[in-house]
Amino acid sequence: MAKKTEKLIPAEYIPDVGSHVLTIDKKKYLIANDAMYTFYQRSKGEFSDFFLGLRDDKKILGCKCPKCGLVRCPPFLTHCPDCDFAATKLVELGQVGTMLCTPPITYFANSLFLKMAPYGRGRVVLEGADTALAVNVYTTTGILAPGIIKKGTKVKVVFRDDRNGEISDIFCVPASELTKAQVAKKGLLSSQINWEAAVEPTMKKATAAEQEIYKKALKEIKSVIKLMNETERARKDIMGWKRDIQVKTTGGEFAIIINNGDIKLEEKKLTKPDFIMVAKSPKTLADGLAYRGAITDSVIMKRLWISKNMEFTTIFKLDRMARSVARSKK
Amino acid sequence: MSKRVGIVGAAVTPFKAKWNEKTYYELAQMATREVVKDAKIPIKDVDAVFYGIYNDIFERTCIPEHALHGLIGMQNKFGTRVSTGGATGAYTISAAHAYLAAGRFKTALVLGVEKCTDCFDFMSMSATPEVIKSIGWSGDSFFEQRLGWTAADSYAEVVLAYMDEHPKDLKPRVTAKISSLLSQYAKTNKYAQRQFDQVTPEEVMNSRLVVYPFKELEICVYTEGAAALILAEEETAKAISKNTGKPIVWITGLGEANEHSFAGKKQKVMPRIMSDYLASHQAYKMSGIKNPRKSIDIVELHDAFVHQLEITMAEFDLVPRGNADALIDDGLMLPGGEYLVNPCGGLIYSGHAVGASNIMSAWSARNELIKRKKKTAIVHGTGSTIAQYTAVCILEHD
Repeated sequence: MAKKTEKLIPAEYIPDVGSHVLTIDKKKYLIANDAMYTFYQRSKGEFSDFFLGLRDDKKILGCKCPKCGLVRCPPFLTHCPDCDFAATKLVELGQVGTMLCTPPITYFANSLFLKMAPYGRGRVVLEGADTALAVNVYTTTGILAPGIIKKGTKVKVVFRDDRNGEISDIFCVPASELTKAQVAKKGLLSSQINWEAAVEPTMKKATAAEQEIYKKALKEIKSVIKLMNETERARKDIMGWKRDIQVKTTGGEFAIIINNGDIKLEEKKLTKPDFIMVAKSPKTLADGLAYRGAITDSVIMKRLWISKNMEFTTIFKLDRMARSVARSKK
Repeated sequence: MSKRVGIVGAAVTPFKAKWNEKTYYELAQMATREVVKDAKIPIKDVDAVFYGIYNDIFERTCIPEHALHGLIGMQNKFGTRVSTGGATGAYTISAAHAYLAAGRFKTALVLGVEKCTDCFDFMSMSATPEVIKSIGWSGDSFFEQRLGWTAADSYAEVVLAYMDEHPKDLKPRVTAKISSLLSQYAKTNKYAQRQFDQVTPEEVMNSRLVVYPFKELEICVYTEGAAALILAEEETAKAISKNTGKPIVWITGLGEANEHSFAGKKQKVMPRIMSDYLASHQAYKMSGIKNPRKSIDIVELHDAFVHQLEITMAEFDLVPRGNADALIDDGLMLPGGEYLVNPCGGLIYSGHAVGASNIMSAWSARNELIKRKKKTAIVHGTGSTIAQYTAVCILEHD
């Protein structure tokens, strides 16, 4: 069940009352913080059995048409429109299924789901069903990269420990990442899975050649960051944003400080960084900042490690700054 | 017998990432002022207005068109709104056509407007995540919204399903080339949001993944702006055309189809955009087009994503399904090729002001048919989850 203290809208999402004036072509425009919100007490109606099944019994229901035999999951209707609206019956389904098609992976999430990214959202055809249920898909092995879950991948339904009677009470992971007992278990809980912990990669001591590579890359990163600071469009990309980032690579470490439109590099160790980036090669970051490939893609492809997935937002901002500098050169 | 209906006026406002200088009231009026000027008729001669506005949340009000009616001079006359996701603009044209063809009105204003980037995420201090969230409320509220449904990931589902079936098609090299080509076209569209953002295929390939398999430079951009058309039945159209000296572009075919929103057996066929196939072929039939590959000169297609552009072209039967890359590899959409595709720069470079987008596409198709002295164009809108909705118009210039 949901924690009693949890709010429908977390406090951090709610902006303060405020306004500011923007001047365009010497004319002033008033910009006000605003919101449009509506609260609901909404019945799950005919879907109540399905959602209560998820929440209380850790079971998944579908509905079967007695005429055509089609089993729909989710049970999104009570009468089959293909059979003159014959009344369907609820049936319990298996908790293993196959992916109907390769699921997309969201790296740039909407504001409600930033904490969840990166995530896959695909469609699983559960044992005993004919239609596909939309589910989130994850891997137990870290960041979800393309190729881990594909069309036909056998997946297992996992129930969250904290359930509210919502579709997000469940998600799927590849069955191949679980033990046979876990795959066979009805109502497998998230807490019963061994999730790979985020362990900071260790750096080996740099050779003389690697030290040279580091020096060269650092020089380029400094030069690009200087350019970013001189580019209005790039500065706008980090307006209102503050982050202290510790960067560790073979050959050395440094800090990137983002502060409301300013970005700077300091060759120091931060005591309390907001997050840590680790790249085996310093060139990975240099390439990204110089717009020779996205930093986002380096994180996805595991060339660059970040200590908090939430910080994809900052990575996107750095990628955007790189593009802004490239655009300003045109 | 239904009446012939033609376009006798068209206008757009500049498409911009953000219009701090104007509200959607003023954007709607700007487009209206320009379109009646183009048709050389006073607004009092317009019998009805059909509004294309997608999302109440963007406009920050429900029935957002109510305030527009009087300020565009249409008080005490017929006004209705269409809202069908990304296909809003094309469906609005279709609705206006139906009333005119039935003889209910002699003239109609088709007016699309959207103000989307007022939405702002105070967590990331940028508009985009909040714009995506606002669109996210369009997903199924019982079974999908809470999973992080977005327009991009729902279209990516269809694209990946297509790639499951045709793994050698939609190659990154080709999608990058198409995006680059569209950016070149935008250069001559002075209303385009990204008129001066020409990109190389290499830049597209290097841009970051937003939702796998879509890269940043393969996705349409959020836009604020408005677009308008004046449609008229045959006799009125001829009189207006005589007065303006501009030829009539006739709407000779229309097609619409909405698919299932759930997938699996007897539901949505995930590797296909059947709505595109059904709507386009219905429109071909209505306009008497037997062989679209020979008949279609200009395509103004709703390119929410480059990959979807390719699949849609295949569903239109303008390139083989499974070898949509022939658009580039065989030069079908390259300059001098069989078709001129999205000469305005498409929604990726001209911009996607949702309710106004397909109307902007019709504006562009009309301009290009007249300017290039071509005969036939197809205008398209796609929308809703997993590319569920489509509306298509065939425009012909005689």
